[in-house]
Amino acid sequence: MSDIFAEAVERLSRVPGVRGALIVETDAGVPVLAELAEGVQGDVVAALASSLFRRTNSAAQTANFGNLRTLQLEAEVGHVVVANGGDLLVVVVAEKNAQLGQVRLEAHRAAEGLQ
Amino acid sequence: MKSPAPADLQRWSEDVARDATSLSFLPLARAYRRQGRRDAALRLCLRGLEHHPDNVEGHSLLAMLYFESGQRVKAYDEWSMVLTLEPDNFDALRGMGFYYLEQEDHIAAKRHLERAAAQKSSDPAVQEGLRIISERLGEATAEPAPALDLIDEPWAEAPASPAARGVQATEVVQPVRAVQAPAAPPPAPLEPRPAPAAPPAPAPATAPESFDDPRRIFDPILKGGQILGALILDNQGLVMGGSLAGTVGGQAEALGAILGPAIEEALRTAQHLSLGGWKGALLEADAAVLHFSPVRDGMIVLLAAQKNAPTGWVLRSAQQASAIATRFLEVYS
Repeated sequence: MSDIFAEAVERLSRVPGVRGALIVETDAGVPVLAELAEGVQGDVVAALASSLFRRTNSAAQTANFGNLRTLQLEAEVGHVVVANGGDLLVVVVAEKNAQLGQVRLEAHRAAEGLQ
Repeated sequence: MKSPAPADLQRWSEDVARDATSLSFLPLARAYRRQGRRDAALRLCLRGLEHHPDNVEGHSLLAMLYFESGQRVKAYDEWSMVLTLEPDNFDALRGMGFYYLEQEDHIAAKRHLERAAAQKSSDPAVQEGLRIISERLGEATAEPAPALDLIDEPWAEAPASPAARGVQATEVVQPVRAVQAPAAPPPAPLEPRPAPAAPPAPAPATAPESFDDPRRIFDPILKGGQILGALILDNQGLVMGGSLAGTVGGQAEALGAILGPAIEEALRTAQHLSLGGWKGALLEADAAVLHFSPVRDGMIVLLAAQKNAPTGWVLRSAQQASAIATRFLEVYS
């Protein structure tokens, strides 16, 4: 199983513009596996991204939109993409000019692989 | 119009390649258009507008590119956006006027072309359009009038519009043959011809740039049915404008309150991760795609789309919604 995680994270981290790729426990918000560029704090990313995901997922459910499959946060200098893998989340931190389509595709694939 | 020097082209290309947010996308896209490379110009415009959604010149150029490639509804959408950002923009008023004329909505066509004429009374295409409308309106009991060929030709370039703003001059669009032969008898292209296939969506009943009805301010982005609607929510979660259709419509008032905590979390996450200010969040759920983004004073724009709506389309529509909301709030705040 850990090989699957490692492959998914490695594939994601190779996408141009990706600064960090993590597998995170959804409820606990702790990283299971991570490939991070220098300066990216895995624990912080894992905690914040999972918290944001849980909050937005709860909002989506309350509004009868069902479960959240993907969350994409756009900020001035980068993006955070979170894909729902059930008990685990795939979290990607990317630069502003990253190939987002590829990031999303790989994140989806990785999340499907986790379920 | 004089072609840009190769050195300029090179510089603009390098600017855009180095910095996706560079405004050099505009002169480069114009140059590509002049070279007949419309697809490349279109891609440049779309990418540039992702970073500059309020750029009037960019939307105006994109409208021309869509128009020239026969994508009338998309051209209409872009002109709507231009008029939202700049209500007296001559190019957009004229473009919309001819769009409505082609749709045989003579009242809307007249309204737009008269506003265009108020900006530039000597424009021969506008005068020709108004003449045709006048004739058509005088034939109210006649057979339904077929569409005209006024705007099927590639649009010529003319000196820069005085309303132009930004780093480069605006290329004024003109129906070529109308310019070449505006006098009576009507030139060949102005003769009636069989109506073309209907566009994917009908023209809205009211002017899209109007903010008279706050529920309808986002109408220009609702074509095609993929976008369910958009709302402006204030910092107390109350709806200030817009509406949502379909199954999500009944939840409009509740969405602000429900999403409030998530929005705060998004803001906090972006700050903590040193990503700068948050610009928006895209949520893909089982039943719908949602996008929310900040506008001003703690207010957000929420856009809802069908669950299978293309992501790029949703993001682009969200940018357009944000631009509309900004304009709306400037007018009414």
